[in-house]
Amino acid sequence: MSFETTRSGNSGSNSKRSFNSISSNPSNKTSSSGAKNTKNDKKKKTNQKTLGMAWGANSSSSSRSAFRNSPFSDFGSYMVLKNKKLHEQFDAEASSSSQSGSSSGKSIFHGVSIFVDGYTVPSSQELRGCMLKYGGRFENYFSRHRVTHIICSNLPDSKIKNLRSFSGGLPVVKPTWVQDSVAANKLLSWIPYQLDQLASEINNQPKLSAFFPLKNSRDSDDVAPNVGNHVISETENSSLKGGTLMVANYPEHCESTEQVDLCGPEFNDILHEYQTEMMLEVPACSVGSHCELKGAELCDISTLDGMNTGFEPKSSSCQASASVCSGSLDGHNSKESSSSRISLASNQPNSTLAEPNFVENYFKSSRLHFIGTWRNRYRKRFPSSSNAFRYKSSCLNAHADCFFVAVVIKNRPELQDKPVAVCHSDSPRGTAEISSANYPARDYGIKAGMFVKDAKARCPHLVIVPYDFGAYEKVADQFYDILHKHCNKVQAVSCDEAFLDVTDSRVEDPQRLASVIRKEISDNTGCTASAGIAGNMLMARLATKTAKPDGQCYIPPEKVDDYLCALPVRALPGIGHVLAEKLKKRQIDTCRELRIISKESLQKDFGMKTGDMLWNYSRGIDNRLRWSDSEVRATSPREESKSIGAEVNWGVRFRNTNDTQHFLTNLCKEVSLRLQGCGVQGRSFTLKIKKRLSDAGEPVKYMGHGDCENLSHSITIPMATDEVDVLQRITTQLFGHFQIDVKDIRGMGLQVSKLESTDNGKLVHQRNSILSWLVSTSTKARDQEKVTSLTKCGDIVGKLNTDGDRGQLCSNHVGPYVRSDAGSSAGGSGISQDVILPPLHDLDVGVIESLPPDVIAEINDMYGGKLTSLISKYKSRTFDMNMSTTSVDSAEGVTAEEKKSHPSRLAQSNKISLDNKYGDEGTSVQPCSAPVSENISVMPSSLSQVDCSVLQQLPEELREDILGFLPAHRRLESLLDASLNPSENQTGSMQAVSSNELWVGNPPLWVDKFKVSCCGIMNIFAEMYYRSGCTCRLSSILQRLLSEKHVPLDVSTDEWDDAFSCLCELVKQYAELKIQTDIEEIYICIRLLRRLTERSKMFGLVCDGILPHLQASFGENYGGTLHVSSVQD
Amino acid sequence: MDRKDNQTPQGESARILVEFLEVAITSIVFLKGIYPSGAFERRRYMNLVVHKARHPELNEYIHSAVNGLLPFIQKGMVERVAVIFFKDDKVPIERFVFKLNVNQSYGAKVEQADLEFSLRSFLIKLPVSEPMTKVLPCKCRWEITAYFRSLPQTSTSQDSEMWIPTDTKQWQQLPVIMPIRSMSSEPLGLQLYLEHASLSEPNP
Repeated sequence: MSFETTRSGNSGSNSKRSFNSISSNPSNKTSSSGAKNTKNDKKKKTNQKTLGMAWGANSSSSSRSAFRNSPFSDFGSYMVLKNKKLHEQFDAEASSSSQSGSSSGKSIFHGVSIFVDGYTVPSSQELRGCMLKYGGRFENYFSRHRVTHIICSNLPDSKIKNLRSFSGGLPVVKPTWVQDSVAANKLLSWIPYQLDQLASEINNQPKLSAFFPLKNSRDSDDVAPNVGNHVISETENSSLKGGTLMVANYPEHCESTEQVDLCGPEFNDILHEYQTEMMLEVPACSVGSHCELKGAELCDISTLDGMNTGFEPKSSSCQASASVCSGSLDGHNSKESSSSRISLASNQPNSTLAEPNFVENYFKSSRLHFIGTWRNRYRKRFPSSSNAFRYKSSCLNAHADCFFVAVVIKNRPELQDKPVAVCHSDSPRGTAEISSANYPARDYGIKAGMFVKDAKARCPHLVIVPYDFGAYEKVADQFYDILHKHCNKVQAVSCDEAFLDVTDSRVEDPQRLASVIRKEISDNTGCTASAGIAGNMLMARLATKTAKPDGQCYIPPEKVDDYLCALPVRALPGIGHVLAEKLKKRQIDTCRELRIISKESLQKDFGMKTGDMLWNYSRGIDNRLRWSDSEVRATSPREESKSIGAEVNWGVRFRNTNDTQHFLTNLCKEVSLRLQGCGVQGRSFTLKIKKRLSDAGEPVKYMGHGDCENLSHSITIPMATDEVDVLQRITTQLFGHFQIDVKDIRGMGLQVSKLESTDNGKLVHQRNSILSWLVSTSTKARDQEKVTSLTKCGDIVGKLNTDGDRGQLCSNHVGPYVRSDAGSSAGGSGISQDVILPPLHDLDVGVIESLPPDVIAEINDMYGGKLTSLISKYKSRTFDMNMSTTSVDSAEGVTAEEKKSHPSRLAQSNKISLDNKYGDEGTSVQPCSAPVSENISVMPSSLSQVDCSVLQQLPEELREDILGFLPAHRRLESLLDASLNPSENQTGSMQAVSSNELWVGNPPLWVDKFKVSCCGIMNIFAEMYYRSGCTCRLSSILQRLLSEKHVPLDVSTDEWDDAFSCLCELVKQYAELKIQTDIEEIYICIRLLRRLTERSKMFGLVCDGILPHLQASFGENYGGTLHVSSVQD
Repeated sequence: MDRKDNQTPQGESARILVEFLEVAITSIVFLKGIYPSGAFERRRYMNLVVHKARHPELNEYIHSAVNGLLPFIQKGMVERVAVIFFKDDKVPIERFVFKLNVNQSYGAKVEQADLEFSLRSFLIKLPVSEPMTKVLPCKCRWEITAYFRSLPQTSTSQDSEMWIPTDTKQWQQLPVIMPIRSMSSEPLGLQLYLEHASLSEPNP
């Protein structure tokens, strides 16, 4: 029967039950954990034992049916009721057991509620008994809300791995804890009883939270529900220095939060008292002076002993808790404290955890930060001082003697001759690093970077003083004031070191200058400085080393060699441990030995740069512009900072993401301030995180970062920013990328790069302003080009868009085009530097004559206006017959006799050509535009620019006049010949190519035509067609032609006209073909033709010839004119 | 995606074109710097870095305007799409004109890759033609204007109601045209060119 099986399975508990009933009372029949048994219990409470058994048996045999019949709607409500009953039972038992008068302290376990998981020794029933007896609670079912401790002896691996989900953050303790607590008759800290499997993980470093004053409360009532910090002190874990406070945050843990505190109420009272005191002290301290984050160290109990008498009795047993409250009591207790002077701030603000302004204060008290930002301050103070110059002959290096110490002790004469070191902390643990030591201290071998404890070992009476940043700043300012007073070329290296270029100083003798400066520094600041004078920075620096302390040294050029030969290589800047070791291996100790080695072998052994440096330095050669001291290199922003950021790698400990968020917010604020301080905004953001290596323990250096893995994520946004909100959003986003346990974070930094200066306003504006500059120049250049090309190439018509309109004039419209023509001319004259010369031959005089009189008048007006405006700047001429005389007059009005007469004559000649109505492929008109201011003659610079047809029209004597005026041209004759009889040739050739199907077929018709042509250039064209891959794109053919430089493109005289007309027709038809679909192609062709003009004038003329047509079809298809700019190579 | 619409080559190419226009118009707006560059974010389109408006309304304007054209482009009713930059007085300063040519009789299948390759060249050419463009004065505005070959029947579709006659003025003179890029493939031909007021344009 199943009943039997159940019983036998629970035989152990059966016996316990009997034990319980014996020991306490009969009704107390609770069993441990089996559901059936507890059901039994419930029944038992109200009914007879036997009945309960029967019920139990019943349920186990047919649990399904029992469930169906049960009054509970579902399992959840059943469990609620069950738990309630269990509690009631337990309470009843507990009250009876206490009444029954167990002798010992009733409530050792007050507030403790255990849950036993799995097999334990002693058994869960015995534990339950203990709980009953000593005021604790026992939960049959695990609940995060009710249970405070989980008791177990062993855990499966899966639960270890997933401890949090298993335990809900509750302590997992071995059962001996309960037994021992009972034996000790007080509640022991559970920490030493932590399950071994877990202890190894949790215990290996002190929890940061341990170091903050926590809102300790004796019982759960005092604990704010969501603060609910549980402080458990622990004394026995000696491996943890200063004790460990375990703080767990149980947000949900409201009702039964209970402090497990070894010390009991008494201690808590004291602790309370003490804390209140601390709270009062803390603000005073931090205001007081050194809000020194770096330095907070645990004070051990002896310190506290002296401070708090009330604390004494318990102190020995409460070491850990006491350390919570340790802190900066320097104002009060410096006398009592065992160490000479504790210059620490309160321990409260020393990590990311407890202190809201951690980041801010961190940077306030960081020496590296001070040095780093000092340069910015310096630059603001002395903005004009140049920071890079070569020292030609004389360089003075001024270096304050152990600046960081000297400044602090200058007002404390009693320390003057004692060994003093500056350090952020003087804790007995001695893990703080010394940042600077004075000369007496150095005599003991104390160096910067040494741990205080090591330094104390060497020199027990070493006095440790804290930083005084205010004083540093003041002294550094004075220092530089003096330097700047004596020399206008000061190159700052650090707050305490500078180079002066004294080559052309007022005082001839640099040595005397040095002594003056040194005296002044000493008088004004109370600190001494040393000076080194030499030919370059390297030697000056070395000289200073020799001069120190409080002296000066001059190394004249002739003594450089002697000086260097004796110098150990280690003394050279840039040679550190590693390099010195390497050199030593090669038996190189002094520069003399170093000099023997050739530069090549040095470079081979040590790398190019280092080898070069060694070679140079050993010879006293210093080619650098600036001194770059390693410290400065590490911390100071360069002249143009590439990035700005802030990084905190000390004291960073987080409990949860809220802490992290808070920290990031502050970090963003700091970075934002720095960005604003430098007047820049950044686009790229990098979040760096130092993550504790999984096997790294707590670092030796207190609150340091220890061994870390460096992680980073970055993001780039389109718009530069320095706003805190944006930074915050970005960092939050970036932080989200890290899949990281916040508890492992040991350092965080935010770096901003891709900086843009805010001075120039917004990026867009900046861009636009540059753009406008570019465009305006390019326009100018274009205009300039137009002018030059007009004069140079003889492109008379078609340079300007308006020409196209004129071209249309004859064919298409009348009124509006004339208007636009005139308007454009006027506009052009108003704006540009070049003047439009209309293609007169394209004008139909009949059209003009047939214009309404008011339109003609308007044209007149416009041209009148144009002319008047031109008078001031340019010579001009007009196409209007009515106005040609005016134009001549006005032109003559402006310019000198000879030059100006030509255009006017030409105008007349154009008139003639107009009357004669030469074909439209003819080119025409003379360029006459040139800014007078530039004194460019209106005369074309070469004959090639002269339109032959026009020339031809001129009277004989005038033509000769012009020709005589023109520079000689090698093709003068042929040109003239060719141009003097254009009409016949043109008509002939026109017929030859008049068919409109030049581009039809594959290969296009023209290829064959050109191939058989007797004209060289046309043959070349056909050839180019094949060479360019048989494309039907004219642009590729032209491109090919352009690239084949060797192909002769000269056109002989007899071929000229034929070739000209053929090419014109070719291009024209091509344009017609492409006008609908591909104006880009047309555009490219035009530009290529222009460029080909270099090779043969023919192309330029072709280009000009087809432009009127082109513009006409543009107007037809696109309602506009093609922008034609001349492309010069 | 509606397969039916895209079955015809015209529909297919119109869809690609519309998508392209949206990108191209945004690129033009970005290029002209009418908004701070931070208003755009970098995206990849046709394996090119392009810009996309961040502001939802700007994005929506471009998107809806261009997509509203889709049915008309399909039917070949849209002749030109212009991005017009103008001053307060509504006189245009600069016009970027896309001239469309959809071959209605084309029946073969559209090679999307080929078409996109051709369109891609527009986006490459556009930024380099920046020096040709004019500097906009501040307080500039802009609009997308579509030129129809024939006015659509208002009843035919809802889309056409979205379009209102533009009140931007025309230039009095013929503008100067600067071709930026042309392509002609079947069934879609597209040309992008720049229009500036001619030099003779009277200054208001």
